[in-house]
Parts: sequence; structure tokens; C-alpha cells
Amino acid sequence: MQHVIDISSDRLRLEEGRWQPLARRLQTAGLGAIVVALAIGAFGLESLLRAYVMNLCYYVSIALGALFFVLLQHLTRAGWSVVVRRLAELFTTAFPLLALLAAPAVLLILTGGLLGFPAAVHQVYPWTDAQYVAKEPLLQAKAPYLNAGFFAVRLAVYFAAWVGLSAWLLSRSLEQDRTGDPAITRGLGKWSAPAMYLFALTLTFFAFDVIMSLAPSWYSTIFGVYYFAGAMLSFCALLALTVHLLQRAGYMVRAVSVEHMHDVGKLVFAFVVFWSYIAFSQYMLIWYGNIPEETAWYAVRQTGGWIALSLLLLFGHFMLPFLMLISRAPKRRLQVLAGLACYVLVIHWLDIYYLVMPPYYFKLSDPGTAPFDLLGLLLAGLLAVGMGALLAGYVLRRMAMHPLIPERDPRLTESLAFTNI
Amino acid sequence: MSHTATAIDTRRTDGASDGGRRLHALLVEFETPSAIKEAARRIRDAGFVRWDTHTPFPVHGIDEQMGIQRTKLPLLVFACGAVGCLTGLVLQWWTNASNVDLPAALNFIRGYPFQVSGKPFWSLPANIPVIFELTVLFSAFGAVFGMLVLNDLPKHYNPLFRSQRFRRVTDDRFFLCVETADPSYDPQHTPALLRSLGGTAVEEVYDEPTPPAPTRIVNRVLVVLLCLALIPPAIIAKARVSRSDSPRIHLIQDMDNQEKFKTQRAYPLFADQRVMRLPVAGAVARGELGDDAHFERGIVGNGYAEQFPAHRPEVRLTAEFLQRGHDKYGVYCAPCHGFDGSGQGRINQRAIELEEPAWVAAAALTDAERRSRPVGHLFNTITNGIRTMGPYGDRISPEDRWAIVAYVRALQRAHYPRAGDLAAVENIGPRERDGGE
Repeated sequence: MQHVIDISSDRLRLEEGRWQPLARRLQTAGLGAIVVALAIGAFGLESLLRAYVMNLCYYVSIALGALFFVLLQHLTRAGWSVVVRRLAELFTTAFPLLALLAAPAVLLILTGGLLGFPAAVHQVYPWTDAQYVAKEPLLQAKAPYLNAGFFAVRLAVYFAAWVGLSAWLLSRSLEQDRTGDPAITRGLGKWSAPAMYLFALTLTFFAFDVIMSLAPSWYSTIFGVYYFAGAMLSFCALLALTVHLLQRAGYMVRAVSVEHMHDVGKLVFAFVVFWSYIAFSQYMLIWYGNIPEETAWYAVRQTGGWIALSLLLLFGHFMLPFLMLISRAPKRRLQVLAGLACYVLVIHWLDIYYLVMPPYYFKLSDPGTAPFDLLGLLLAGLLAVGMGALLAGYVLRRMAMHPLIPERDPRLTESLAFTNI
Repeated sequence: MSHTATAIDTRRTDGASDGGRRLHALLVEFETPSAIKEAARRIRDAGFVRWDTHTPFPVHGIDEQMGIQRTKLPLLVFACGAVGCLTGLVLQWWTNASNVDLPAALNFIRGYPFQVSGKPFWSLPANIPVIFELTVLFSAFGAVFGMLVLNDLPKHYNPLFRSQRFRRVTDDRFFLCVETADPSYDPQHTPALLRSLGGTAVEEVYDEPTPPAPTRIVNRVLVVLLCLALIPPAIIAKARVSRSDSPRIHLIQDMDNQEKFKTQRAYPLFADQRVMRLPVAGAVARGELGDDAHFERGIVGNGYAEQFPAHRPEVRLTAEFLQRGHDKYGVYCAPCHGFDGSGQGRINQRAIELEEPAWVAAAALTDAERRSRPVGHLFNTITNGIRTMGPYGDRISPEDRWAIVAYVRALQRAHYPRAGDLAAVENIGPRERDGGE
């Protein structure tokens, strides 16, 4: 027997009039920051392209985490998470804008570069450089897959799949808000199984295509899982942070209790450990095999300024959050959890930075030629703020259109009464 | 469901007189989780300490109602995990990387440095999996055994089992039980308090004057099992200090005795009864005719060849051929002679470090003596070995041996360049010169 939590006094809708101006300001500021970044980037086109791809991968990863979360809750028929599921559904509304943001980069690669960009494109994605491919037998063998045309087609397919999946999940959930039909929950549970396959394949190949192909002679079959671990981690952190901000603004105060946030905190902790497990698995196999074309990828990241970033990830992405989140207390104090969530979002950004920003060309005889790119850091920071604000404003508009929880979900009562044993 | 007023049942637990028995506890029965939660809150507030609730399933929130503090188990698990982590770390350091001088009597616990695929003896990436597994194992042990200890388990007997009514605790009834040993227990007031809780029945549970011990048959079985369990370690202990001429025990018969003929065994089908068949007399394996003394033995006339066997298509002094030599040299020669040909390979270094008496130092391939050797001589040394160096003719094909000789020549030239060599290097493109990206 569960005693029913009364949420009739809870504010579960963002008032459009109150939040639209903030959303507009965020979008304006975001666009401004992006324009400034593009202007500064004219001085270093390679750094600009890397920084742009990097931030795109960062925000796509968070949206993918949200998409996975929604699918997972439907697939496992989870009861506890109903009160936070709508937020995840609303995060995935970012996909159309993310597709729009990805389009210029894809077009640049497809056209082989415009306005003096070819050199930069060739530096960032060496497989687009026909002269370089002609010298590398490995890249010639990969050419049927790794060519600009097919690359663009694949990215279009991925984004189409994500936009379609997220739109379908949200629209069904909103339909249930109107009708209260429990058959919708059953249908979502059934169809989320094949959708999960689609998600796994698209995420893995997105990571292969956009990030792994930056170093086209390097390969790691676990790479998709690595990207996924960070995606889910950063989404859970953003979820905790968003709930905290909404509750501070007076929304969903009774609907989402410390019990739910405790579980979100557990997920953050779990994915900190999972990320470390995967990251180490990838590192250890390559370290042990000691094959030059595999170790070169790590060699770049262990010289120059990059070694500092590698060590920062080891301690900052694993040991520190592991020790901070292992005990029960910080997961049940929403302010502490929100602080940790901010930290996790920053460290995941650095993780993507570590994947994308180091150069591919590397001379073993002269490790000093892979210096830490300060212009790249500046541009990446600017674009992070710009894209982040643009996306936040975009998602905030959609959040203001719909209730913050699935109001007539059949498992809502169960979710409201949820407690950890 | 009868919700009549609480029927006070003062029936003795099994109807027997209470002569010699003592009152162990008072048991209150409830029909719903909410009823027992409310009752638990009142007993908690009354200040009892030796009491408990028993339910057919975990009742959410009953811990708070009973005033149970959070378990200390997580701290225990964390401590066990930390111990496991350190155990994994120290174990691997001790076995493979420690260099501690111990008295001879303690030699059996000394570490034994074992080189695996050229990795350092002490290298964290290789050690982390074991550290991780031991951390998980120790944490799991801490969780399971710590839970048992903290819960006072396993427990073979509880006086509550004597109550017929209590059996429904695994089905559909909820019980609250206050022990008479509780300091707050009062023979007058406590039964009255329990009756007022709103349960469907209150029962007195009596216990034997001395709790029953396990029956003698159980004890005997335990003793026999314990004795039997001592047999395998006794056999092992005996085997460690004695010698035996009989074959070892085959635990897995079909792995040890396979249905196949092994080398050097008899086989009655053939007249000579050998399993291993000899090739037909005069048979020569493909490519092993041995008719090209220059190519296969490095000999021209009566002496060592001064030139590479350029008449063979396999031997062409190209960049690919040198690369092949470089690769094979790295596999077969570098462990002793070093990648630079200085004779300071890892095995050589290690042997000298351990002061191996039988070790003959690996030759420096770039010294004056080796630089003056004809190529055929170097080829012959690789093929047949020299001093303690074994023959490699059976492992490396002739063309690869020639490639190694060519690479050794290149190494020598790199150490002692001639006039004009530098100009040749200048003409090579920058990407090739860097030798890899």
C-alpha cells in the first residue's frame, strides 16, 4: 500500500510569458558568442573546425543520453523515473537544432571546403585529402566507407533517426497527457526495444564517423561505448542540475523528491565508474598490444600540453567524482548533487576536448610538434558557451509549452510514492 | 476477515504448563502493513530496545518507524574494498617487482620477476585489472559476510518458531515482538500497552530454560564432514614432502589420455611399428633443395660470401627489403643485441644484472670486428649460431636472414657513416625521414 502524494499544489508548467524573454536572451547571446567565435576562428581555421566539431559532439552526447534514458525507462517499464522522464523527453527536442548546427560542418566536408577551408578540412579529417589517402594503403582500403559523400549520407541518417525517435517519444507521451490511455505506455514499451537497436547503432557509428575518423588510421571497437558512457553520464548530471534549478524557481517541488534525485545521483556515480571501466579497457588493450598505429593516438595525448589533460581526466573524471559520489549523503543533498553535476558536465566537456582537439599528425622523433593549442581552447570555450546558450534557449521554449511531468502516466502514482529502501 | 476487537490470546505457546519455562517475548499479530507501522512507531516512542517486527515482505518506511539507524555496512564494504585494492597492489609488486633481500629460509615467499612481452616488471596498466578484481571480490565478501555478522546470522533457533501463529509471517500476517529481557519491560504495563496497539492477537511466547542445542546427529555429521574435509589438504601436505615413482593422479582422464597416437609411440599397423612415418628416401621439402650454397649457406667456393646473393629475386637491396630486415631484427635479434646493435638488449642487460655465470655477453654488432666480417659470415652466424647463441636457420627463412644481414650492415653504416652519406639523407623527403607519424 502506498500513500498518495498530493501534487495538486505543485507548479508543473513553466509560464510562457515568464520564460520566453529569458529564452530569447539566451538564444541571442548564444548566436552572438558563435559569431564572435567564427570571427576569431578566421585566424585559425583548423582550430575553429575542431572546436566546432568538438562542441557539437558534446551537446549531441547529452541529447543522446536523454534519448537513451527515455528509451530505457520505457523498455524496463520503470516506475520510479516517471516524474523526471518528461524532462529527458524535453531535452531530446534539441535534436532538430543540433542537426541544423551539424549541417555546416557536414557541408564543408562534402564540398571539400569553401573559402580557403580545404587545408583546414584536410588537417582535421585527413581522409578527405586525396593526396594523403594515395600514400596510405590503410586509408585506401577504408575509402569505400570513409568518403565525403557516404559520410554526409550517414550523418543525415543518424540525425533523421534521432529527430524522428525523439519526436515520436515526446508526441506519444503528450498524447497520453490528453487521453490518459494506458495503451500508449504499453506501445512505447514494445517499440522501444527495436528503437534501442537503432539508437545503439546510430550512436556507435556517429562516434566512429565524427570522432574516430579524426585519426583515420586509428581504430578502437569499444569507442562507441566510450562515447555512450560519457553521454549518459552528462545527461544524468544535466538532469540533476535542471531539477535543482526548476525546484529553486518553485516548480515540481513535491513531484520530484529527494528519493528520485538519490537515484539520479546513483546513475551519475554508476556512469562515472562505467566510463572509467571502458576508458581503461580501451587504454589497456592498446598499451598491451603496443602496435604503432594504435599507440600513436595515445602517444599524441601523452606529450606536450596534452599529458596534463590526460592526467586531469584520470583524476578528475574518475577518482575525484568516484570518491565524492560514493557515499549516500551527497546524492541526497540536492545542492551538493547539483554542484557535482556542474563539475561532471565540465569534466565531460574536457573528455570530448581530449578526444577531438589533439592533432592527428604526429612525429615520434619530435614530440614537441603536438603543442597544446591555446587558440583552439579559446574557440572551444566560446563555442561551448554559444552553442550551449542557443540550445538552452531552444529547449527552454519547448519546456514552456508542455507540462514538466507526464501528468496522466499510469505509473505516476507509483513514481510519486517511490522511496529507496 | 474478522476485524473483531483484539482477542487476547493468553494460551501457552504449545499448551504445556510453564513449569521450568520462561516467558521469552510477547507477540502481537497485525493484518496490514500500515497497522504494524503505526504500532512500531508507538513501541519505539515507548523506549523499548529489544524488540523487532516480522513481515512477509519488506515494508517501505518501517525502518524509520522503528527508529532503526542506518546500517554501518557501507563503511565496512568500503574498508574491505580499500584493503582489496591495496592487496592487489602489494601482491603484484611483491611477486614481480620487489627486490628485497630475505634470509634463505624465507626464500619460498620471495618474488620472482617474470618478464611478459617486454613490459616493465612494475607497470600499473598491467596491474590494474587484478587490483580491480580484488577490490570487487573483497567488497563483495565484506557485503555478504558483514551483512550476516551484523544481522547475527546464521541462527539455527529462535523461540518465536515455537509459536503456531507466527508461521503465517511468511504468508499474510505481520508481527511485532517485544522481548521480556528488554529493560523497559514491565509485567503489568507492557502487556496492556501491547493490547492497545490494535493487533488481532497478543500471544505469550515461552522458551525452554536452556535453548535447545542442535541434535546429536547433526553434530556427528558435522564432525564427519570436518574430518573428510581435512583429507585433501593432508594428501597435499604429504605430497609436498615425499617422493613417488607412480604416475601422477589424472583428474581429467580424457584430457590426459587422449584417443590419439603420440609421437615416438608404437603403432602395429606398420611393419616397423612406428607411429611417425619417415619421408620417402631422397624426398626434399619444397624450397629446401640446398643447391644454392651462396643463398642458403652464405658460402661461395670455400669461403664466406663477400656479396649478397644478387642472383636470387628474393634478395634485392631495396627500402622494403631493409624494412623487412628491420622487422625481423626487432623480433629475433634485438632482445639480446639491442635495437641499435650495441649488444645491450633487454635480455643481455637482465642477465648481467642477475650476474648469470653462464652468460656470454651479446656481441656489439657495430664494432670493428663485425664491420669487417663478410656478409656470408654474418649469415652463417645467424643460421648456425655461435658460442651460446642458438641457431636460427630453422626459424628464419634464408631471404629473411639475408634481410637481417642487410639491416645489420645498415646499422653499422649508421654508426660509422662515410663521407657523402649525409648528402644522401638530405635528398630524402621529410615525411620518410621522420620514420613515422
